[in-house]
Amino acid sequence: MYRLFLALRYLLTRPINILGMLGVTLGVWALIVVVSIFSGFIAVVTEHIRSAGADLSLLARDGADSPFERERPAQPLDEHKLRELLEADPDVAGTAPRLVHFGLVHRRGHRPPPPPLLGRSALQGGDVPFLFVLGIDPAREATATGFRSWLQVRDPALAVADPDDPLRRIDDLPTMLLGEERMRAEGLKPGDKVVLTTGRVAAGNVAATAIEPLHVEFAVAGAYRTRHGGFDGNNLLVDLVTLGKLLRPDQAHPVQELSIRLHPGADLTAARNRIAELARQAAGTRPGETGPVVRTWRERNQSLLQSVEHQRALMKIVLIVIMVVAAFLMYATLSMMVAEKTGDIGILTAMGGSAFGIMQVFLSCGVAITLAGVLLGTVTGCLSAIYLEEFRQFVLGLTGVDLFPLKVYNLDRVPHELDPVWIAQVAAMAMLIGALVSALPALRAARHDPLVSLRGA
Amino acid sequence: MTTPVLAAEGLHKSYRLGRTEIPVLKGVDLQVLPGEMVALLGMSGAGKSTLLHLLGLLDVPTGGAVRYDGAATTGLSAAARARLRHRHVGFVFQFYHLIPELTALQNVLLGKMMHRSVLQYLGERRQVKQQAIDLLTQVGLAQRLRHRPAELSGGERQRVAIARALMTAPRVILADEPTGNLDSATAEGVIELLFQINQERGIAFVIVTHNEDIAARCHRTVRLRDGRVVN
Ligand SMILES: Nc1ncnc2c1ncn2[C@@H]1O[C@H](COP(=O)(O)OP(=O)(O)OP(=O)(O)O)[C@@H](O)[C@H]1O
Ligand SMILES: [Mg+2]
Repeated sequence: MYRLFLALRYLLTRPINILGMLGVTLGVWALIVVVSIFSGFIAVVTEHIRSAGADLSLLARDGADSPFERERPAQPLDEHKLRELLEADPDVAGTAPRLVHFGLVHRRGHRPPPPPLLGRSALQGGDVPFLFVLGIDPAREATATGFRSWLQVRDPALAVADPDDPLRRIDDLPTMLLGEERMRAEGLKPGDKVVLTTGRVAAGNVAATAIEPLHVEFAVAGAYRTRHGGFDGNNLLVDLVTLGKLLRPDQAHPVQELSIRLHPGADLTAARNRIAELARQAAGTRPGETGPVVRTWRERNQSLLQSVEHQRALMKIVLIVIMVVAAFLMYATLSMMVAEKTGDIGILTAMGGSAFGIMQVFLSCGVAITLAGVLLGTVTGCLSAIYLEEFRQFVLGLTGVDLFPLKVYNLDRVPHELDPVWIAQVAAMAMLIGALVSALPALRAARHDPLVSLRGA
Repeated sequence: MTTPVLAAEGLHKSYRLGRTEIPVLKGVDLQVLPGEMVALLGMSGAGKSTLLHLLGLLDVPTGGAVRYDGAATTGLSAAARARLRHRHVGFVFQFYHLIPELTALQNVLLGKMMHRSVLQYLGERRQVKQQAIDLLTQVGLAQRLRHRPAELSGGERQRVAIARALMTAPRVILADEPTGNLDSATAEGVIELLFQINQERGIAFVIVTHNEDIAARCHRTVRLRDGRVVN
């Protein structure tokens, strides 16, 4: 009983203990808040990426993302055959063909490449004049991606006239869909005429070594909006057949990519491997030869996702340094307590206390201080993570300083994701460090000779 | 013949300083009977405090044995010695050794908290508290229960220390110059209190003192010289 009682008295009568506690609080708070913002950010980015793509993408060949790796042009996919094969697969919910090309868009009579949009980051496609031109089949695209929801844009004036047939010809011109932000930035309205400048393999050039320029007039059908700003800024959508005819007038139905949606709950990796095998067989690819490949949505956006996750891991390491500082504070607090209390050790021993009991007194002081710090840090950490958006708005209204520029990341509010496992890990780590660091002074107290305290006044 | 509450048999204690061995006690024999008041005299450095620490099991002798109620205490573990010390002896020191964070009442209560679990203590909390208040009243500190040591005079602090020693109802109280730090009038009051306790409770005392008058009032006087007891 005396151990508990003394520990309590030592704790409550010494304000310096608050210092040790605040150190732990600060460390725990920072670890919880920063990591939860990063986790929230990862979750949001992942969701954004997900909204702008299909579960799986079947690509005509490996290295499709890097034109320099091609030693011969990719064989277009045999879409009809693949579609039949894929729709027999129990996991496949829908497929949509795509042609992936490039181009520049400008208004007739204007300078061909759109001028850089000042103040817009590359992520939003602001200063990238160069666009990917995706040829899609609107009806089938809706079965493989969130295409139908992409047509619900914020500004009704930019929306397509008929969502059921978004790429219908206007004034007998082929039409295109532009990302909403880009369309607004360039001041385009549905019905405006633009010129697409691109290139194609010269007719009859089988080796595909010569490119001839191509200028085609399009009408703007309207805007689309996924939640992935980087996608919207860099892609314009046109009709698959129209694009196919422009690029390969000699070929009936060229397709480079198949977007595949899986039924909910399907095993992504297993489906990818199975479909890749199907596609290689259908293309007649021999083992060891490069041929069609299948990528999951995660693989296609690997570099972005991995870089954010990597940043989170780095942040954790940086923040653990704060815990080291907190540990030093705890150590100093406890050492001071023990140094001031050695005088009590003699009388406690004389009254029947043991060295072990004396160690317990100081150790429980340290553990109690740590526990208070951990609890306070966990509660304030969770609360700050949850109410960070309100705090941001408060600071914004008060000083005009935006702590977290949401628009850059296409976010509505400061994201957070409280991971109970991480919080438990932080709390356990802090408790362990606190206990270890208190154990040293506590052991010193236990080893202190009580007779020294009793002899010296 | 009655068994002594406390006995020393051929106690030896020497301190090692580097290579040289410094003998302080060279075979001390001492018997304290129940209710007996023994004064322990000796020159400064004679080893009085050392002997008291050995008698209270705070230190282990180099040779010889300490007996409590006839039972040897040699070879006991630190924990067993702590328990025995708690039950059998109380200490009063020259420099009081009160815990500064605790009030007078809490300092006295602390003795009763030792060797009791939290539940045990809480169960008997009321009686224990009343007992502590009674003891403090008996030593004349009824009005000082909630004072911290820093708010008490030297004499009052020593009275709190005495009440604390009484709290566990020991068989012997070992007092090391209990008045060494007090002026003569205050010292007289404290000594009176010790005699009164001895008479009322039958607790045996070993009192280390330099004061021949105090020694003369005790039942028996023992002198330490050259590491041995001379009567
Ligand atoms: N830890 C130690 N190491 C070495 N020598 C010690 C130690 N403790 C005590 N001594 C020596 O033992 C001798 C006896 O000391 P002790 O304190 O028992 O004397 P004392 O009789 O109580 O003296 P005083 O009347 O001044 O209190 C002294 O010479 C002292 O120097
Ligand atoms: Mg002494």
